[in-house]
Amino acid sequence: MKLRIHRVMLVFRKDWREVSRNWEVILPIVVIPFIFSILLPVVIVLIPNLADVPGINIGDLETMIRNLPSHVRDELGGMTDQQVLVYIMSLYFFAPFFLIIPLMASSVIASDSFAGEKERKTIEALLATPLSDSELFLGKILVSFIPSMIVTVISFLVYSTTVDVLSFTLFNGRLLLPNIVWVMLIFGLAPTVALAAIGLTVTISAKVKGFREAQQISAVLLIPILVLIFGQVSGAVIFGPVLIGAMIGIFAIVDLLIFHSGVELFKREEIMARLA
Amino acid sequence: MKAVAMSAIETEELTRRFGSSTAVDHLSFQVLEGEVFGLLGPNGAGKTTTVRMLSCLVLPSEGSARVGGYDIRRDSLKVRQIVGLLTENPSLYERLTACENLDFFAEAYGLSDLQEKRERIRELLEFFDLWERRSDKVATFSKGMKQKLAIARALVHKPPILCLDEPTSGLDPESAKAIRDLIERLSQHEKHTILLCTHRLEDAERLCSRVMIIRKGKTAFVGNPEELRDRMTGQPVLQVTLRKVNKKIIESVRKIKQVREVSVNKSACRLMITLDDAKSATPEVVRNVVYADGMILSVNAIRPSLEEAYLKMVKEE
Repeated sequence: MKLRIHRVMLVFRKDWREVSRNWEVILPIVVIPFIFSILLPVVIVLIPNLADVPGINIGDLETMIRNLPSHVRDELGGMTDQQVLVYIMSLYFFAPFFLIIPLMASSVIASDSFAGEKERKTIEALLATPLSDSELFLGKILVSFIPSMIVTVISFLVYSTTVDVLSFTLFNGRLLLPNIVWVMLIFGLAPTVALAAIGLTVTISAKVKGFREAQQISAVLLIPILVLIFGQVSGAVIFGPVLIGAMIGIFAIVDLLIFHSGVELFKREEIMARLA
Repeated sequence: MKAVAMSAIETEELTRRFGSSTAVDHLSFQVLEGEVFGLLGPNGAGKTTTVRMLSCLVLPSEGSARVGGYDIRRDSLKVRQIVGLLTENPSLYERLTACENLDFFAEAYGLSDLQEKRERIRELLEFFDLWERRSDKVATFSKGMKQKLAIARALVHKPPILCLDEPTSGLDPESAKAIRDLIERLSQHEKHTILLCTHRLEDAERLCSRVMIIRKGKTAFVGNPEELRDRMTGQPVLQVTLRKVNKKIIESVRKIKQVREVSVNKSACRLMITLDDAKSATPEVVRNVVYADGMILSVNAIRPSLEEAYLKMVKEE
């Protein structure tokens, strides 16, 4: 099956024009990263600890600290309780949340990709064009992937700046972010995880009749990420360079499999037959 | 030597089933190059499914079809390239402007030269009186404007074959006439082949060289509109209007061998004459009336409308 990149980008441009003019879609893309990159860290960790008001205390993170790799525990050795708390929360606790950002930001667009076209009755003209199945499929993936990754990277920059600014004095001028783990997480793991989730959601969107159905089914895809968050909080899973590197490799393979099977499962004749 | 027209569309036993129901049942027909071919039939007859199969949107369950020489199963991308489709719904992106809609479809159909694309879009928008609204979102358009834009979309890549599903629906009389004129021009001057699905019998009568009536997915009739009328209602009725009607005139007509029935409307001074063969018997009717001292004001061969013939056909079991 032919895959011409300029045609993929044509689908992307068309969809992005539509999406960018729809506030119902744009709002979650803007609000969710704001919550995760500024609001949560400031309210839960940084302000209570730095302004000395009640919040999370060191005892709450005992299990997590116990499960940290030895070199990280060594690093914590010379720190005060307040420094340990801010360090652990900023660098480890919030890390998996940044895998949620691209998923939540892309969820509406990916669910809407084909299901929305069916609901708005625009799918027939689109499928009648000589764009190949893989061009349509990849175009729909990119329109969810590119904005969600831009938002994730911006969120990361905002989060790093917030953490560094607020903890600057506490750590005597030392900048906590970015570090290698976070760079690998944002530029390696987040895109590969997002691609897998978006690929599955777009495949679901092509199969179901409406947007709501697609979104409800795709919400299930958040479960593995939530497992990672609880794993990290409980100390069962700690994101280190080796684990992230391995996960990037695994998800890259999963992405390829999902793309191939998604294109295989995407049969435009079936879409129209189901609508007939 | 007369050139032999080639088939632009050729179907053989084309069938589509949805579960247990058969939407299209072994349809075989040909549409010649440059021809306007009408698909007529009541709702649910299988017209749209037929068009969808020919546009490679739905696969046939059985049978085969070639469009522009390409097999709809094997060469679906090539078929899509040469077919312009006006869908049942306008199928336009409402958050995009008229220009953006046409721009997307022009490029999707392979019109990549920027200058050529711009000129084509301008030409179409001007033709359909939408140029002034080119930068407005389609959501703000009336139903008629959307229909015009959808037709412009079907034409944007200058396809040799057009499948038009109800092209004049939702249009005001002036716009509907403009579309009919356009279809005529596309067929006669630009040699487009046009498959026209329509409920408007006046459109079919004016535009189609041949029509096919589908009933419950099966072919009920294929031929030109004239043949349909002949088949359903027989010969035309001869209407003779006189200055005065009298018994002598009526008798002079009745004694003609080919006359089957004469009905008289005395107040309108009119004879309605049913003949075996209107073409050959008309001169004799006129001669007899004149010999009977009748003063003829007019002679007309009255044919039933295509609509009457069509309704009779679709009601037939």
